[in-house]
Order: sequence, then structure tokens, then C-alpha cells
Amino acid sequence: MSNNRVSRRQFLGYTLTGVGGFMAAGMLMPMVRFAVDPVLQQKGAGDYVLTDQAVADITEEPVRVDFTFEQVDAWYTSEVTNSAWVYKEGDKLVALSPVCKHLGCTVNWGGDPEQPTQFFCPCHAGRYEKNGQNIAGTPPLGPLDEYDVQEQDGFVAIGQVKPNTLV
Amino acid sequence: MHFNSKDIDLYASQKDYVDTAVVPLIELDLTASGMKASAGASEYLQSLTVILEKQFKGRILLLPPISYVRAADRTELGGQLKKELSETGFKHIFYLTTDPKWRSVDDLDNVLWLPAIPTGDMDQSFKKSVMEDQLRQVLPLFTKEWTHHS
Ligand code: FES
Repeated sequence: MSNNRVSRRQFLGYTLTGVGGFMAAGMLMPMVRFAVDPVLQQKGAGDYVLTDQAVADITEEPVRVDFTFEQVDAWYTSEVTNSAWVYKEGDKLVALSPVCKHLGCTVNWGGDPEQPTQFFCPCHAGRYEKNGQNIAGTPPLGPLDEYDVQEQDGFVAIGQVKPNTLV
Repeated sequence: MHFNSKDIDLYASQKDYVDTAVVPLIELDLTASGMKASAGASEYLQSLTVILEKQFKGRILLLPPISYVRAADRTELGGQLKKELSETGFKHIFYLTTDPKWRSVDDLDNVLWLPAIPTGDMDQSFKKSVMEDQLRQVLPLFTKEWTHHS
């Protein structure tokens, strides 16, 4: 026992290292959390937002489907409502983003009476085919983005946005 | 586009396309009896301009709301705004307000006056449909202006 006695110097050394360690950890942990938290909080790729649009009512004609989710911004959480143009291609559901690839206005299906089977952007008359392909000669330089979409209990569920895979 | 530094960068490089400014005008009434209605009107107008911006992001620049006290001289304020905006490249300028006093200011064009709807106490989905209804009234005024003067 006496061989293992801790000398005063050692005792103080241990204690100070211990306390110092705690203090350092106390300071570092929040920093690490700050850095890591946003990463941990990101929504997984498998997140779908359920809408109140029944899949059975979807036809080959695109309809606007709204979906609302909570968006955590740097400072506050807000409810955001986005929409998608959803239609059936055979049995498959297709959901396109309504955000014009020119400067971001919202496009409408058949918004130009002369082109009832195209998406139309009211801002600078951009046009897109039903599959989102931008029409040459109009301002947009790329196709409309696409959403992951699936059926959940008979209703449309919208997932992550991704580059168009149809054109 | 919004009046923030990121959107302004984009605006600066795309001025030819972003040719319309939207200016919300909001009266501040801070009296005990008027405050709630004033806040409601401000909330309404700001929600409306936000969904308007979403619709026409690529063509309009939404300025932050110009707020002024009840006693403010609308004619003078209007003149100052008009002057400041005339020094920009905007081809179209819309003023949106729920304040009836702007209706008697003649030298501002395109003042869209809307009666404020107290949406603050409505539940989310009802509020959304009301606001969309309101938006549908406003959109054609923009597209009409664009097709007639471009
Ligand atoms: S934003 Fe759609 S055509 Fe310009």
C-alpha cells in the first residue's frame, strides 16, 4: 500500500490535469456540436412528405400538388409550402419541380393558351415539354428538376428534388 | 427576388430580365386600439408579397416594406420613392398597400390597393387558400402590365 502512495505533487498533478481536461472538454464540446449538429440534423435521403392528393385521381394530365414541411433555417423554423406537377406515365408517377430553370419563377401547365400541352413560365415566356425538357429558343437552359415520388397508402408522397431523369 | 445580398448579385447580372420592382407600403398605427389591426394588415401584405415573389421570382425584385407613421405625408413619401426608383433600371414599378390613403395620391402609377384580410387568426390551411385567392387577383395585373408595356 505504502509503495503506491500518491505524493502531494502527483495528487495535485492528477487533479489539475483532470480539472483542466474537464474545462477543455466543456469548452470544446459545444464547438464540436456546433460543427457537427447541422450535419446530423440533415434529413435523410429517404424522407417523403405525404400530400393529400389521392394517387387514383392522378391522370396523364399534370396537376399541381402542394406539400408542406418544416424548414430549419439558420435562425428559425418556418413552414414552407412547395408544389410539384404530378402526372402518370403509364403506371409510374412523375413529379416535376415548378421552378423555372431560367430565373426561378413558377411554371404552369398549359399556362400559355396556345401551348396547352406544355409548361409555361409567365416571366419571360419560357416553355417546357411535359417531361420537363426545355424548349429551345425560350430562355431556360435546362430541363425542369424532378422530385422523388411514391405512393403511400393511396396518396402521393413527395421526396427529394433531383436533376431531371426523363429527358 | 428578395432584397438580400445573394439575390441582388443575381439581379445585378440579370437586370434585363428582372425589370419590375414591388414596393410594399405599410402604415404603422401604434395606438392601443389600432395596433392589432395594423399588425394584421402588415402580416397580410407581407404574406401576399412573399407568395407573389415566389411566383414571379425571376422578374420582380421585392423591396422590404416601406413603413411609415399615420401622420406621414403620403404624397411626399411617394414622390421620394418614385424619384429613388426612377434612378434604377426598372421598367415597371408596383406599389402594394392596404392603406386607403394612397388612393388619393395621384402621381404614383400602379398602386395596388387591397383591403386587408385578417388572416392572423385563421388556421394554416384556410389561410393558405385565402392568400392564394388574393394572389390570383393580383397576378393578372402584373401579366397585363407586362404584355402592354414591354
Ligand atoms: S424565369 Fe422562367 S423564363 Fe425567365
